[in-house]
Amino acid sequence: MKDQSSYNDIWIGSEDLGRDEKFIDQATQEMPDGSVASMLAQGASFASAQTGRRDFLKYLGFSISAATIAASCEIPIKRAIPFVTRPDDLVPGVANYYATSYVVGGDYCSVLVKTREGRPIKVEGNPLSAISSGGTSARAQASVLSLYDIHRLRSPQIKNAEGKFETATWSQVDDLVSTSLKPESRIAIVANSILSPTEKNVLKEFQTKYPNTKLAIYDPVSSAAILKANEAIYGVAMVPGYHFDKAKVIVSVQADFLGTWISPVQYAHDYSKNRKIKDATKAKMSRHIQIESYMSLTGTNADNRIRIKPSESSAVLGRLYNKIASAKGESSINAPSLSGSLTSAIDKTADELLKMPGESLLVCGSNNIGDQALASAINHMLGNEGSTVDIQQYSYQRQGDESKVNALVASMNGGEVDALIIYGANPVYDLPFGSAFGEAMSKVALCISTNTSPDESTALCKVLAPDHHFLESWGDAEPVRGHVSMIQPTIAPLFDTRERGLSLLKWKGDNDLLFTNEQPYYEYLKATWAANVSSVSTWNELLHDGVFTYTPVASGASYKNNLSLLTSKLIQPGTGSEITFMETVTMGNGQHSNNPWLQEMPDPVTRCGWGNYLALPVAFDGTRKFIAHENLENGELADVVVNEQTLRVPVIKQFGQTPDTFALALGYGRAATGRAGLGVGVNVNPLLKTDSDGLIQYYASGVTVSDKKGKEDYYSCVQYHHTMGVTGEDSETKQVINADEAATVYMTYGLVRQGYQGSLVNRTIIRKSHLENIDEFIHDLQEERHEHQELNKMQVYPGHDATYARGHHWGMHVDLNSCIGCGACTVACMAENNVPVVGKREMSRHHEMAWLRIDRYYYGDVDNPSAVYQPLMCQHCNNAPCENVCPVNATNHSSEGLNQMAYNRCVGTRYCANNCPYKVRRFNWLDYTTADLWPINEPDLGMKSEKDGTPYGADNLTRMVLNPDVTVRSRGVIEKCSFCVQRIQEGKLRAKTEDRLLRDADVKTACQSACPTGAITFGDFNNETGDLNEKLKSPLNYIVLEEVNTRSAVNYQARIINKAEGVDA
Amino acid sequence: MHHNCLKYCLLLAFSWIFIVGSSYAEPTVAAGKVLFQNNCKACHNANMKDDMTGPALGGFEERWAAYPREDLYKWIHNSQALISSGHPRAVELWNKWKPTVMTSFGAFKPEEIESIFLYINAPPPAPVAAVAAGGEPTPGGVDKSNDFIYWILFAVLLITVFTLSRAILNLRNIVAQAEGDSHPIKELTVLQFLRSKSVISFLIFSLVVIGGYTTVNNGIAFGRQQGYKPDQPVNFSHKIHAGLQGINCQYCHDSARRSKHAGIPAANTCMNCHKAIKKGTLYGTQELTKIFASNGYDPSTDKYIDNYDKLSNDEIKAIYTKWIGDSYMKDKNLTALDRRGIRTVNEQWDNIASSMTNELKPKISGPIEWTRIHMLPDHVYFNHSQHVNIGKIACQQCHGKVQEMDQMYQYAPLSMGWCINCHRQTEVNFVGNKYYETYKSYHEALSKGEKTKITVEDIGGLECQKCHY
Repeated sequence: MKDQSSYNDIWIGSEDLGRDEKFIDQATQEMPDGSVASMLAQGASFASAQTGRRDFLKYLGFSISAATIAASCEIPIKRAIPFVTRPDDLVPGVANYYATSYVVGGDYCSVLVKTREGRPIKVEGNPLSAISSGGTSARAQASVLSLYDIHRLRSPQIKNAEGKFETATWSQVDDLVSTSLKPESRIAIVANSILSPTEKNVLKEFQTKYPNTKLAIYDPVSSAAILKANEAIYGVAMVPGYHFDKAKVIVSVQADFLGTWISPVQYAHDYSKNRKIKDATKAKMSRHIQIESYMSLTGTNADNRIRIKPSESSAVLGRLYNKIASAKGESSINAPSLSGSLTSAIDKTADELLKMPGESLLVCGSNNIGDQALASAINHMLGNEGSTVDIQQYSYQRQGDESKVNALVASMNGGEVDALIIYGANPVYDLPFGSAFGEAMSKVALCISTNTSPDESTALCKVLAPDHHFLESWGDAEPVRGHVSMIQPTIAPLFDTRERGLSLLKWKGDNDLLFTNEQPYYEYLKATWAANVSSVSTWNELLHDGVFTYTPVASGASYKNNLSLLTSKLIQPGTGSEITFMETVTMGNGQHSNNPWLQEMPDPVTRCGWGNYLALPVAFDGTRKFIAHENLENGELADVVVNEQTLRVPVIKQFGQTPDTFALALGYGRAATGRAGLGVGVNVNPLLKTDSDGLIQYYASGVTVSDKKGKEDYYSCVQYHHTMGVTGEDSETKQVINADEAATVYMTYGLVRQGYQGSLVNRTIIRKSHLENIDEFIHDLQEERHEHQELNKMQVYPGHDATYARGHHWGMHVDLNSCIGCGACTVACMAENNVPVVGKREMSRHHEMAWLRIDRYYYGDVDNPSAVYQPLMCQHCNNAPCENVCPVNATNHSSEGLNQMAYNRCVGTRYCANNCPYKVRRFNWLDYTTADLWPINEPDLGMKSEKDGTPYGADNLTRMVLNPDVTVRSRGVIEKCSFCVQRIQEGKLRAKTEDRLLRDADVKTACQSACPTGAITFGDFNNETGDLNEKLKSPLNYIVLEEVNTRSAVNYQARIINKAEGVDA
Repeated sequence: MHHNCLKYCLLLAFSWIFIVGSSYAEPTVAAGKVLFQNNCKACHNANMKDDMTGPALGGFEERWAAYPREDLYKWIHNSQALISSGHPRAVELWNKWKPTVMTSFGAFKPEEIESIFLYINAPPPAPVAAVAAGGEPTPGGVDKSNDFIYWILFAVLLITVFTLSRAILNLRNIVAQAEGDSHPIKELTVLQFLRSKSVISFLIFSLVVIGGYTTVNNGIAFGRQQGYKPDQPVNFSHKIHAGLQGINCQYCHDSARRSKHAGIPAANTCMNCHKAIKKGTLYGTQELTKIFASNGYDPSTDKYIDNYDKLSNDEIKAIYTKWIGDSYMKDKNLTALDRRGIRTVNEQWDNIASSMTNELKPKISGPIEWTRIHMLPDHVYFNHSQHVNIGKIACQQCHGKVQEMDQMYQYAPLSMGWCINCHRQTEVNFVGNKYYETYKSYHEALSKGEKTKITVEDIGGLECQKCHY
C-alpha cells in the first residue's frame, strides 16, 4: 500500500486523487462546452455582441405582441370521454397492480406492475417471490419503457421481391409458413434460454409435428462452461443454486454475481443479508474475496480484491484446488503455473475458504470448462453441496450452448436447413461468428423472426412474426426448479402482435379448436398447469400471487469423480497485454441498448453512460501523478487492436486493473435497432474468439492500445459532475482547497478564493472502517458527530422543531453496507418521477437530470482500492441552504420536514442549485419533455445524421409511461428529489380512508421499493416504533456534511468491510 | 365559571344527541323519503304506480299481507337468499322479474325500512324541486355594486375641481390687477388646457396605472374560466336528475369517493334507469336515443344489439329512426308517419348524429364525448376522495347548486386563492378519524381548550407540496 498522507482519504478518480491542477478548472464548469460562461471566458461574441437599444426594443415588442396573441387565444375545448361500460376493477385515477414476471432470455425477476387507467407505468418487486424477494434490477425497472418503444414491430411483415418488408396480416404469414413447412422439413430454432415450462411444451409439440426440428439455444453472454462442466462432474448439465446468504466466506473468480452474472437480483438480496450490521456491538459479516481482471460491480463491493489477468483464471483455480486438496488429503492436479506475485494471496484465500467448510462458496464466471469443473470440485471438497450449493433445486436461467449455434452455421451453409426460426434471439449481433451466421441465413429458404423489434438478425429474415412485449403476454417461467412464476398481461396488446409460442402452435396446425378461443395462448397455458400442478388451489390465486413453489423430484445430480477428465482444458496464463470484455449492469449483450433509461444510467463503476469506454489501468508515477497507458486522458480516443481488428474507442482511466489489462463492455455498437441504441459505442462481439470446445472466451490476448487519436465529441462520464467536497490544490499558494467551493467563490467574487467555505477541506462525505476496528471507529465517529452537533444548535428556522414534532417528519436512512451500487433505484426514480432523458450531448455538458445519483468513491490502496457507493438524493435539510436564497420562494420547507419545490413558481435563477452543498438540484436547461406550447421550441439534443435530435419521449406513445400524479416539468425550472411526495400523500389518504394510523408500509419511496438489498429505509421520525427509528439506533450512522449545519433528514450508515490481511494483490 | 360553561355545553350536546338519536329511531316519512331517494329510486318509480327497472312499490302491503313483516325485511336485506329459501312470494316475484336482481340492503335497520314503508304509503308529494343529498351550498356572495355611488362622487369632485380652478383663476387675476399687472392671466381654451403639461402627464400617469392594473388582473385570471357553460353533446339536465328526481351525486359520479377523479359516468350507468324511462320530458326521444346509440341498446325490443360496435352508421340510423318514428306514431295514435313525423324523425336524427360524432370520432357508437368544464392546470394535484370521503365536503360547495342547473357551468373560480381560502377556514374532522391521532399535540391543545378547532391550514394545508408535485 502506498503512503497516502499526501492524498485524499477518498477519491473519485485519478485526477482528484492526485490533486491535478487542470482538474479544478474542469470540475468548476457547470457547462464545459458552448456555455455562456465559457464563451465569456473565451472573449467570444456574447459579451461584446452589438445588441443595441433598437434590437432590445425590437425583441421587447415582438415578445409582447407574441404574448398578446397567445393570451387572446381561446382556451381550447377539452373532451371528457367516459367508458361506455366501465370494467368493474378499473376506477380512473386509482392504480391497479398485477403480478407478473420480467423475463428476457434467462434474466428473471418477479414483479408487480402498476397500471393507471390501463397503462403500465411502473415496475415494483414482488415480495412473495423466493427468488427475487421483492428486489428489482435496473433492467427490470426500465422494461416498462421498452413496452412503449416507438421502434417496436407493429404488425407481421413479409419481405417482398425487392427485399423490402411489407406489412402483412397474420393469416398471410400463417399461410406462407404453413405451406412452406412440410413434416419432413429440416427446421432450426435459435433461441436464448427458455424459462417457460409452457413454451417448452409448445416446442415439444412442434417437434412432434416436425421431427427434424433442431433447437439451438445460446445465451447472449454465455455460461455454457458451467453447464458442460457440471454435466461431467454431477451428471446433470446445470447451473447449481447458489445461496450467498448461507456463505460466510465468498470467493468469486471473474463472476460479477451482484451486477450481471446469472441471477444478480437474487444473489444481491442473499449476499446483503450477511453484509448488514444489525448490532454494532456484536458485529458480524461475511468475507468476500473477488479475484478478477477488471473492476466489476461485485469487485467494488468485495472486502479483498486480487487483480489477475483474464488468462490467469485457470492457474488461480488450480492453485486454490491444490491448496485445498492437500489440506483435505485429496490428490492434487497438474495446474498451470501461477505468477509468483499472486501465490501468497491465493494461498491465503484458500485458507479463508478452509476456515469455513460447508459455509463457504466459490463461484466462477470464466467460460472455460476446466475452470468450472475446478470450481465445482472445490465446493464439493469444502462440503458446500447442500448448503451454499444446491444441486437439487438448480437454476434454469442459463441453458445455452453457443457451440450448437456454431454447428448450425455449418449446417445452414451445407444446405441442410430448410427453415430457420429466430425465436427471440439476435445471433447475428450477439455471437462472434454472427456475421457468418448472417451469411449462412441467405442459404436458408425461409427465415422467420419472432423478435419484438427490428435488429440485426430480423433484418435478414423473410417473415417477421413479432411477439408481444412481456407486459402484454400470457406465460410462465420456472427460473429455478420448483419455483414457478406467472406472466399475465397488464395491457391489451398495443400492436398487431402475437405470443411467439402461439405462432409456433399455429404453424404446427391440427389445433383449430384451440384457436376458436378469444385468447388461445391463455387457454393453452391454463391447460398446461391444470395437467401438471394439482396443488395450486385456484388459478386466480396463482395469478394474484404471481409465484408458487412445489417440491420437484430429485434432480439425479450427484458428485462423480470426473475432474481428471477435464483438467486438460485448463489454460496456461498468457503473456503481454490482455483485454476483458465484460457485460454491464445496463446493456446486457445489447438486448437493452434501445432503452434510453438504461443508456442514460451511468455504469456504476466507470460512471459513463451512452457508450462503452475502454478502461485503462492507471499507474502511480511515484511522485504525484497517476498515469494511464500512453498518457491517455479520460475521453480521448485510442485505437484498440485485437486479433487484427481495430476499434477506435474513447478511454477512461480505471483503478483496480493490473498494468497490462484493459476492459471494454459488450452490448454497444448496435447496427440495427431503435434510435436510442443505434450506433452508440462500439461492438466488440466480432473480436471474441471461441475455444476448442466452441465456447466464447470473453477476453483476448495480444492486444495493443494506441496513443491519443483524437477526442470524443461528447464525453459522457458523470464521475466529476455534481461533486461535493472534492479537493484540489491552489496553483499559486499550493494549499489544499475544496474544488467545488473554490469554483463557487471564484465565480461569484472574482479572485477571492480563501477563507470562505473553500476552507472546509475535510468534509463528512463517506465514513468507513474495518470490522476489526469497529469499536474504535464508533468512538471516533460519535466524538466527531458530537462536535458537529454543537454547531447545529443554530437554526435557520427557530421553532420549527416543534412543528416537525406535531405530525409527520419524514426522513430516510441509507445503509452503505447494503448498497451495492446496482442502480435499480436510479431507474426507478426516473420512472416514478417523470425524469427526462437528455441524451449523450447534454450528459456531456453536466445536464443529466437524475434526481438520485449514486456517487462512487474509492479509498484505501491507490493501486487496488476499495470502493463505496453512496446514493445521493435531496437531503431535505431542515436548515436548507437552497431555501433562503430563492428570490421567489419557490422552494421552501413544509411542516413535515420536506424541502418543497414548486415548479410553477420557479423563475430559474439557479441560486438554489448553486447553494446546495450536496449538488442534488437539477435545472431544465432545455425543454427535454417538449412541454412547450410551440413545437418549434423543441430542442435539438445534438443527435447527428439520420437520427433526429428531438428529445426522447416526445411522442405520444412513449408519453404513456408518464406517471400522471407527477408534474412534467418544462424548460427553465429547477427540480429535485421530493421524497416521492405523491406516494406520501397517497399513503396518508389510504390511512385516512381506512380510519387508522399511518403505517410504514403505506409510504415507500420508489428507490426504497426498487432496492434488491434493502439499503434504503424511508419513514417518519415521529413514529417511534417504525422501521426508520429502528435503523436510526445504529451507532454507525452519520449525516453527510453534518459540519455545515444543514440538519439533513437523510442518515447514512457507515461502510464497514471485513478485510483479510494480506489477501489483496 | 369556565367549567360551568363547559358543563352546560356538554349537557346541551348530550340532550341534542339524545333528541336527534331518538327521533331517528322512530320511523318517519321524512327519513323514509331520504332513504328512498338515496337507495331505491334508481330502480323503483317514485310515483309508486308504474314499473321501472324494478316493480312499482305502491300497495306492497296487500301483496305481502299473507306473510310476516320480517319476510319483507329479509327480502330487502337479501332477496336472493329469500328466493333460494323457497319463500312463495319471493319465488313468484323472481319468476316475474328475473334476471333482474334486487340490490341487497343488508345494513338497513328495521326502523329505516319502516320509514321507507311510511314514505311509500304516504300520499304523493307536490312536485317541488328537492335538494340532492349532499348538503346545502354555501350562499353565493353576490356583492351589491357600489359603482353608482362612485360615479356620482367622481362627478361631484370633477365639478368641484372645475369650480375651484375657475375661482383660483379669478382670484389670481384680481390679485394681478390689484398689483397693477397690465397683463391679466388669460383663460385657457379647451385645446390649450388639454395640451398643457400637467394634463398630459396626468393622463399618462393614469394610463400606466390603469393599464398596469388591468394587465396584472387579466394576467392573474388568464386561463380561468369561472362561469364556463359550454353546450354538451347531450342536453343533460342536472336540475331534473339531481334536483327534481333527487338522485345522489355519487350515484353517477361514483369514483368521487375513491379516486382523485369524480369521473363522468359511463353511458351504461344511464341505462340503469333509462331502460325503463325511454322518453324525456323536455326532448322526448331525441336526447335519450343518444344514450341508446352509445350503448347499442334497442329500445324497441328492449335488448342490447349484438356486435353493435361493428355496425355502420347507416345501420345504426335505421334502428334508431325506427324507434323515434314508432314513438311518434304511438304518441299521436297514428299507423304511419305523417309529414311532420318524418320531419321530426329527420331533425332528431341529425341532432343525434352530429352530437355523437366529431372529426376524431366518425362512428356514432361508442362513448359520448362530453366537453370538459372543470379543468385544473397540469401542475395541480387535486383528489376528490380526500375532499368528499375524508373532508365530507358537500359537492355543492365547489360546484354550486348543481341541482338547480339545467345546463352545467363552472361555479367556482378554481383559482389558487379560492382553494387556499377554504383551507384556511375549513375545520378538519379531527376526532372522527383515527389517522389524525398522529397529531398528539393538537389533541392535547384541543382537550385543554387552547385551540377550538384544527383547520386544514394547521396540518399543512397551505404548503406547496400538498397540491403541487
